[in-house]
Amino acid sequence: MTGDVGVLASNGCHIFNGCGFPAPGLQDFNWKPFFTIGSFGFSKPMLLAILAVLVVIVFFWAAFWKPKMVPRGVQNLGEIAILAVRDQILRPSLGRRGDSYLPFLVSLFFFIYIMNVMELIPIFQFPVTSRIGFVWPMVFIVYFLYLYLGVKHQGAWGYLRNMIPPGVPWPIYIILVPVELLRFFVFQPFTLGVRLFGNMFAGHLLLTIFTIASWYLLSLSVGLLYAAGSFALAIFVFLLETLVTLLQAFIFTTLTATYIASSVEPAH
Amino acid sequence: MNDHGNEAVTRARKQAAAQGRAQGLETGWTVFSYLLAGMAAYGGIGWLIGRAVHVPLLFPVGMLVGLGISIGYIIHRFGRQQAVERPRKEITGDR
Repeated sequence: MTGDVGVLASNGCHIFNGCGFPAPGLQDFNWKPFFTIGSFGFSKPMLLAILAVLVVIVFFWAAFWKPKMVPRGVQNLGEIAILAVRDQILRPSLGRRGDSYLPFLVSLFFFIYIMNVMELIPIFQFPVTSRIGFVWPMVFIVYFLYLYLGVKHQGAWGYLRNMIPPGVPWPIYIILVPVELLRFFVFQPFTLGVRLFGNMFAGHLLLTIFTIASWYLLSLSVGLLYAAGSFALAIFVFLLETLVTLLQAFIFTTLTATYIASSVEPAH
Repeated sequence: MNDHGNEAVTRARKQAAAQGRAQGLETGWTVFSYLLAGMAAYGGIGWLIGRAVHVPLLFPVGMLVGLGISIGYIIHRFGRQQAVERPRKEITGDR
């Protein structure tokens, strides 16, 4: 949770105390920088993103720096992780020929997952991807790769032509061109990024609301009952978020794999 | 069927399920993007023309036309998904 819990605790702010509920909001997503260099401020989400990178690098380094024929310990976990991404995300979209994209998809999946799961780890308690500035660079990387592979495998003209399926009469082509261009260059990347951001943002807000409410409603009165209800909901949302953090990383990576597949092999 | 046969069938089923999941995800979000893109494209065109000829109503009319075009195109494109997807499987080979 954010600083609000600390403020509430220190002020003894509870229901029936004449203290209004300090509802969480956008202010809970803005962090004071730890330090500044000129106009650049280094804040908690940046630190968590760097930590996520380190976790991914250290984990896979530890797993595979001296690989054994019969995997044990961390290598076992690393192999399970890689095979899960390969069999559940890469192969269904790209087949065996797409195995060269496995390092990219594994890195992307675990980077997003670790950033998401920061929400549920005590002390960190903030999903980095709930700040959209961390999501857009990933969308740009995926989209750049998508376009590059499309142009490489189909040629620039072929790639544009393949956006609209064959067999469409030419007057319909003219009608569809603005729709296709806007869909391809604006709404597809927009939905890819906003879905991840929106889910993590909403999840964190819900978790904050119910946790703060549990503390705020706590009193030796009927408020205790409300607090218990709110706490039960906080636990429920926490459990839900354990699923959402994984699911969002899965969806982002799966869509990346399908985009790569449609660039490498046009579907129509 | 022997154990190896059962294992192969289970693996094939799992692969088919994962493939269906990936295709479903792609289709769902592409359809959503088409709906937004159709409304935005023709709403924008309607807005521009409406601004030029001083008929503000052309903006919502354009959005509705765009929505209609998107829905028609979605039906045309994804209504025959099976026929469209088959060539990609053949190119990809073994999954």
